[in-house]
Amino acid sequence: MLFLLPAILLVLVFRIFPLFWGFGISLTSATSTDPGQFIGAGNYLRALDDPNFRSAMANAVVVLLSVPIFVTIPMLLAILIHQGVPGRTFFRSVYFFPAILSSVIIGSIFSVVLSFNGNLNALLGIAGISGVDWLGHSATALPVTLAIQCWSTFGMGVLIFLAGLSTVSKEMVEAARLDGAKMWQIWWHVIIPELRPIIEFSTVITTIGLLTSMFGLIYVLTGGGPGTATTVPEYLIWAAQGKLNRPAYAAAVSMVLFFMTSILAWLQIRILSRNANI
Amino acid sequence: MPGAGKRQRLTLRIAAIPMGLLALSCLYPIFFAVNNALKTRHDYMLDRFGLATQPTLDNFVQAWTRAHLDEYFLNSVIATLGAVILLMVVSSMAGFALASLRFPYRRFLFAVILSSLMIPVQVVLVPFMRTMLALNLVNTHIGLILSYTAFFLPFSVYMMTAFYSGLPRELIEAARIDGASLLQVWWHVMLPLGTPALVTLAILNTLSCWNDILISLLVMQKHRTLMVGISALKGQYSDQIPLFTAGIVIAAAPIVVLYILFQRRIVSGIAVGAVKG
Repeated sequence: MLFLLPAILLVLVFRIFPLFWGFGISLTSATSTDPGQFIGAGNYLRALDDPNFRSAMANAVVVLLSVPIFVTIPMLLAILIHQGVPGRTFFRSVYFFPAILSSVIIGSIFSVVLSFNGNLNALLGIAGISGVDWLGHSATALPVTLAIQCWSTFGMGVLIFLAGLSTVSKEMVEAARLDGAKMWQIWWHVIIPELRPIIEFSTVITTIGLLTSMFGLIYVLTGGGPGTATTVPEYLIWAAQGKLNRPAYAAAVSMVLFFMTSILAWLQIRILSRNANI
Repeated sequence: MPGAGKRQRLTLRIAAIPMGLLALSCLYPIFFAVNNALKTRHDYMLDRFGLATQPTLDNFVQAWTRAHLDEYFLNSVIATLGAVILLMVVSSMAGFALASLRFPYRRFLFAVILSSLMIPVQVVLVPFMRTMLALNLVNTHIGLILSYTAFFLPFSVYMMTAFYSGLPRELIEAARIDGASLLQVWWHVMLPLGTPALVTLAILNTLSCWNDILISLLVMQKHRTLMVGISALKGQYSDQIPLFTAGIVIAAAPIVVLYILFQRRIVSGIAVGAVKG
């Protein structure tokens, strides 16, 4: 029992107790120096009227809509690797490489490459195409950030799908092939249905990951801007707590984010336990 | 797949071309950073795409000394090392207790630790900062070490519990009959037996701690870690790309070395983590 004490204590002090405390703070008008007063749902109501919150939610929707891309690309690559594309061992290890680098490092490199007088635009200039301020333009900033996130994490997805593919029955694939099925028919009718549990699982963890792990990239690449073009809920929480000195408001946004991730975590647990029963 | 049809082999060969380009794109950023870090500012202006023909280490020296990366590097090493050691000790103890000892509320406590996986740092950011302030842990290495340990702990406990559950209980009973206390059993039996799982945990947690930005940004406002330092470097030296990329290379080097040395362990460890993460 004593052996468990350090772990329990750490989890209670830094995570579980703060969760309840944070809910308490979200119901007050606290600032960093003043405990404030109880104002009930005030911060939540204010959020509905706040353009920053609205665009953070709108951006979250864009992020969530991009989830299928984050799942499909690794799946297709993993199937190709599994089917024996030439150079597969090389691809396997190299694809994973960006996933181990810090988002700060990835972001720093891309900020050099993508800045207005950066390398990509210089290259386009040589080809006679006028450059775009990729990260400084509100129409391109979020899609570009998402593309970088996708590029830097797809190796992880490939890994998960390869693990799933190792359970796909070789006999079924072989039987389908002998029956004269074409490659895409085998993919569509045999492999992808067999991968369903992995697809569900990958969708849920990708979604949770996108809601809680883009901070580093956004912090380095765009600082949430231009305007609020790349402000997502997790970034808004950080900005409201520090820069804007509105901790109670930040706590309220935190609860909204927690609500979103909890639903996903609940789905994840359901999927995991159902898959375990098969 | 051996015996695959002719058309399938052709399709796969064609698919290998874009896949190869994608693989190159994964390696290019590191090449880009190293190559430009070796150039002088003047050379970079003249030719930003070419190879560094007269490589210089001057940027690394400048970044290390003038931009204070030496200090930030040390802070990152202390925080990462401290947190990884603490994570191994705490999760090995907890895993031992949960897998091998019988006490009331065992399952409930396991569920409590695992469920905290659902509470990312963003969700508790405000009260977390207040806790840190109340405990006088802001801007201290101990504070950062404890924060990392708290936020990376649940998965480590899960993994150690799973690993220890697979060991035969007779090992512990034999040691107990020989008169060893529980602490002795843990130290002399469980800790050495847990080595394979502990090594994997150490590598994965090193990656997470070294690469972290949000927690260190919150806790270490005065004594920056390397990642916080690098992100600040961008603003300070925005017109000195070679110096900036030298900083990036310094920050990435330990992780790249770790990847080269332990690639297999990282991949299998993350595969386990992904399936139960």
